[in-house]
Amino acid sequence: MKKALSRIYVLLILLYLYVPILVLMLMGFNQSRYNSMPFKFSLQWYQALIKDTKLIMAARNSFLLAIVTGIICVILATFFILGHRFLSDKVKGLFDSVSMMPMSIPWLIMGLSLLLLIRAVNLDKSMFFVGAGHVVISLPYSLLVLKARMASMDQSLEEMSASLGATPFTTFRRVTLPAIAPAMVAGGFLSFMISFDNFPISYFLMPNGVSTLPIEIQSSIKFGFTPEINAVSTVIIGISLICLTVTGIIMGSSLKSMMGKGGK
Amino acid sequence: MLTWPAMAVLFVFAIFPLLIMFVDSFKSDSGAAGIVFTNYARFFSKSTYLKLTGRTVFNSVLVTVISLLISYPLAYIMAKKLKGMKNIIMVLIIIPFFTNQLVRVYSWLIFLQDGGILQSILNSVGLVHGSLGILYTKAAVIIGLVHAFFPYMVITIYMALERMDNSLIEASTCLGASTFTTFRKVIFPISMPGVISGIMIVFVPCLGTFVEPRILGGVNGTVIGTVIEDQFFEIYGWNFGAAIAFILLAMVLLSMAAISKWGKRYEE
Repeated sequence: MKKALSRIYVLLILLYLYVPILVLMLMGFNQSRYNSMPFKFSLQWYQALIKDTKLIMAARNSFLLAIVTGIICVILATFFILGHRFLSDKVKGLFDSVSMMPMSIPWLIMGLSLLLLIRAVNLDKSMFFVGAGHVVISLPYSLLVLKARMASMDQSLEEMSASLGATPFTTFRRVTLPAIAPAMVAGGFLSFMISFDNFPISYFLMPNGVSTLPIEIQSSIKFGFTPEINAVSTVIIGISLICLTVTGIIMGSSLKSMMGKGGK
Repeated sequence: MLTWPAMAVLFVFAIFPLLIMFVDSFKSDSGAAGIVFTNYARFFSKSTYLKLTGRTVFNSVLVTVISLLISYPLAYIMAKKLKGMKNIIMVLIIIPFFTNQLVRVYSWLIFLQDGGILQSILNSVGLVHGSLGILYTKAAVIIGLVHAFFPYMVITIYMALERMDNSLIEASTCLGASTFTTFRKVIFPISMPGVISGIMIVFVPCLGTFVEPRILGGVNGTVIGTVIEDQFFEIYGWNFGAAIAFILLAMVLLSMAAISKWGKRYEE
């Protein structure tokens, strides 16, 4: 009896989590323009999607932005994590809190402060600042993954390599890099995902006439929605799931421990 | 030295902009020169803005409390009752918060709208007659925000419960404590660090939301976040907007400090 109750409880929570999203995905296959019943299967909204140049451009922008953000974040995070060990405890603490800061400040504030920066230096909105904003908010995620990997790495391997006469560069290339490479890929995917899904930063900083997929969803909510958006949403969910799966497979249990740390 | 590139990027594009925002919050929107305090004075003298602050905090408290009530039993069931399935359920809990924020909000919009799926279900069961009228209310905002944030709390509480030594529970029951006493005196206190982390991770970001309140709440969803957005994109009072954003930032930092101080008490 008790066991049945707990199963029902878990099921109810999962329904709350998933039903709206599943309905949305289902509606992408519904013929009705107004998301109304009865359900009639149709692929017309996906067909419309392929022909919609505006949405395709938005998808292209989202991808480019997220790829560039992911790559830059991984490079910055890798350098950071390599240098991090040699810092004194005091500097380490300061750098740690600065690097995690963008995680706790609302993206609304991060985005608007960048807008004020653009005004202060008298420039126009541009993709450069959008990218900078995306890098800043995604960087902590790459850092977390790399930090978790670095913490579980056996540092004596590097010492051994050095004492056997390897140059620091050789040690990095032959010992450190192979050890952290999976975390670099996972961190990159995570940052890609954060950037790909981000709405506030893009919305505030995007130059006029340029959009990303989240911006397209927002404007379609604002100006009356089309079922194409259901199809787009389904595609976005699919992409996030792929990133999450890749990150999860690569990191395995370290991802779990990372989430534990993220909670503190 | 290797840490410098990342620190430079963070300084130029995160810390420096916040400093600019702080400076701008002391500028006048009407073009008056020099440092003025009118933006802050305006915020703190008008009851609308104070009410708004109250409502924002109230929303966050409500979302946090509901999340706690939902998350604790779930985390407990996962940690203590389910054996084989808990990893699958953990993954299922994690996935939604990696789906796009706008997609999630949009899905609630479709789900809750009059004439939408929820209405047809409730109508056919006979629970509700006619239209639902839940979209564009405060309830819709809370439903959307809880949906967005409670999974974080499940994870933090689950981690605390998972680490807990089961023999403590056995010891307590052996010594004659009722299930409820065992929970109150043993289980709950031990899980407190997870509960507090969970409160932090739900309450703090909730203060700064603007997408869910705007889209699901309509005119009933006005919170600090939406007012800041309006200052920048509708009213063009950027300096006043900067001041409100700074007040929001102060609220975020203060509540973080308060919650983490509270959490320190439970560390051994």
